[in-house]
Amino acid sequence: MYDQSGTHNLHNDSLGDGQSDLLLTRRHAMVLGAAAGFGAVVGFGGPAGAVLRFDLNQGNVQPLPIALPDFLAGSPSDGESARGIGQIITANLKRSGLFAPIDQAAFIEKITNTDVPPRYPDWRAINAQALVTGRVTRQPDGRIKVEFRLWDVFGAVQLAGQQYFSTPDNFRRIAHIISDQIYERLTGEKGYFDTRIVFVDETGPKERRVKRLAMMDQDGAGVRYLTNGGDLVLTPRFSPSSQEITYMSFGQGEPRVYLFNTETQQREIVGNFPGMTFSPRFTPDGQRVIMSLQQGGNSNLFVMDLRSKATTRLTDTAAIDTAPCYSPDGSRICFESDRGGRPQIYIMSAGGGPAQRISFGDGTYSTPVWSPRGDLIAFTKQGPGSFAIGVMGVDGKGERILTEGYHNEGPTFAPNGRVLMFFRDPGGNAGPSLYTIDITGRNELRVPTPSFASDPAWSPLLA
Amino acid sequence: MRTGYTISAVGHALVLAWGLVSFSAKPFEISPEDSVLADVISESEFNELTAGSKTARQVTKPSPIVDKIGEVKETPKEPVQKISDKPEVRTTTAPPPEPAPPDVKPPEPKPAAAPPTAMADPKPEPDPIAEALKREEAKRKEEAKKLEEAKKREEARRREEARKREEAKKREEVKSDLDRIETALLDKRAPQRQVVTGSMINPTPTLGSPTGHAPQLSQNEIAMLKAQLMSCWNPPVGVSEAKDLVVTVRFSLNRDGSLSSEPMVLNRGRNALFQIAAESATRAVRRCQPFHLPASKYEAWQEVEVNFDPNDMFRG
Repeated sequence: MYDQSGTHNLHNDSLGDGQSDLLLTRRHAMVLGAAAGFGAVVGFGGPAGAVLRFDLNQGNVQPLPIALPDFLAGSPSDGESARGIGQIITANLKRSGLFAPIDQAAFIEKITNTDVPPRYPDWRAINAQALVTGRVTRQPDGRIKVEFRLWDVFGAVQLAGQQYFSTPDNFRRIAHIISDQIYERLTGEKGYFDTRIVFVDETGPKERRVKRLAMMDQDGAGVRYLTNGGDLVLTPRFSPSSQEITYMSFGQGEPRVYLFNTETQQREIVGNFPGMTFSPRFTPDGQRVIMSLQQGGNSNLFVMDLRSKATTRLTDTAAIDTAPCYSPDGSRICFESDRGGRPQIYIMSAGGGPAQRISFGDGTYSTPVWSPRGDLIAFTKQGPGSFAIGVMGVDGKGERILTEGYHNEGPTFAPNGRVLMFFRDPGGNAGPSLYTIDITGRNELRVPTPSFASDPAWSPLLA
Repeated sequence: MRTGYTISAVGHALVLAWGLVSFSAKPFEISPEDSVLADVISESEFNELTAGSKTARQVTKPSPIVDKIGEVKETPKEPVQKISDKPEVRTTTAPPPEPAPPDVKPPEPKPAAAPPTAMADPKPEPDPIAEALKREEAKRKEEAKKLEEAKKREEARRREEARKREEAKKREEVKSDLDRIETALLDKRAPQRQVVTGSMINPTPTLGSPTGHAPQLSQNEIAMLKAQLMSCWNPPVGVSEAKDLVVTVRFSLNRDGSLSSEPMVLNRGRNALFQIAAESATRAVRRCQPFHLPASKYEAWQEVEVNFDPNDMFRG
């Protein structure tokens, strides 16, 4: 039922054929360049002694124009998947906000063979800085082979080339993996397209909302429901392996933290606590779960080892400590606490101990999440009449509000730490929906979901 | 005592009033003036004219850079010409009319024939033979006279014709004279070009004067070049957030602003991110050609070295 087959029978090889000549010229160029550079240094660089030197520390932050012609189909039956792969890659790159796919109508050269370099001037003419060509062919065993090459149009070199084998129904994953390859090769950042989102799907009228746990690809495709909607579910979180989800559910009686295996569909309660447990999250190694335990009017943080079931108390205050999140290296925890009067963000060592407050702005701060890169903490900030999503440094400095308005909440980072997803509830009869935003505050986009959606959590990269 | 106060008060009041009038804050009125355009040659521009090369051989007396030995051209002497050489002044106007031969002919001495006739007039006796002879004579004379008249008429006609011919010829001459003047006024010297010539070929620059320097781009021109490169450069996100990932790219340009050599990266980095940064920098240079730069200062921008430094691009 859950499409994990791709991980098992997905092979990829670097494209070597037809590349050696390019490699050679590139190496030549490097040698020549080094030699010329050396020459320039020791002084026989040319007759003109004067070299104009300056620093350029500003660039164009416009998206990079990229040409993505449709992938070629080896046989007519592969036409659909070939076209689908091209469309998914185009949509992924466009949604990232860092690329501007060029309209296919502007293309001059029609790619007919992906094994030879393209006619670079044709692509320079339409100002494409990068070009992706690809081909889908059917193997004798029924699998499909997907090849792609990424070309630097102005440098006239191949930047990347890979081929993948998989079952035909798995073309969507391959498209995401290729998108990640292109993204990483051109931006220097890890991609985040081959990921999934777990969220709370909300249907029905406002008074009798049915909340189901749902999972989908990061682009909104392939939605599947994990629970039947009998219980109210909240705050699902992925394990580092993406195969387990921890969430809070109002079952019979008190709300509890559950663990759910997406492959076996098995569900279990985490721990046996005498009170309500909520806001769970995995440790970065996936071995333990940290959560809040309500005791009287207070709540404190506890961590439980999933194998030994041993629990450790991390805080012991007469305040509400909740929403814990580990730093990527697992050494520190950020959490929300009202020990200072109003909810603020605190940081403490992973073993507990004294906490240090890092948020000092007006209003209250909640739902802190540590960036996978480790440099930022995202939060929900509640001011008078508005909920904002923002980021701040780990030391609390450099606070930036990315989006503001009525009821934004629950940020979650993409695995590369560049994009945040959150949900926005406009109030009234409408329900919440999911949005993504760049950590620069640009490129806010709605994520398509079949119905209302809240509490998103981004998975790590699947591969 | 009271008068003292009064005088003091009045005096103070006067001083204050005077002060108010003369020190009242009155802004300077500046009437808008028409600006005057002025070309200013800066010291640096002047120095550019006297630029030399560091690598040149030291010479005591700098000689100008010369491409070819000039033809020794004799300077024309002062246009004082010998009198004898002076051509006769020719005017185009018709010569002044010669004093017309007086129409009044000197009293022509009547042909001597008259006296004899007069002398032969006395007729002593009518002689029939003589009479006949006389008649014969008269008749002959008559005929001769007629012949004479016809001859005269003929001659007058011929003279008239000659005169007419003469006039036509003269008119023709005047016209051709005008043409001659016109062509004479044209500058028929072969067009000349001032070339840098000297007494000897000197293709190498000399050390130049100590204050001379190569042409430099002004800050404005560098800013324009920067702006052009900025618009071409898409710094990759991952690169711009890495600290201290500076790529130095060197490239040389043709006079029309196009690349004369492939851009080369002068520094090296270890990780894959450096390669991506270097690619984006060289892509920017390749994409940006032709560069818009003043051709007159080609020496200043023939070789360009740019440090692509994406720090602070997205933050701040």
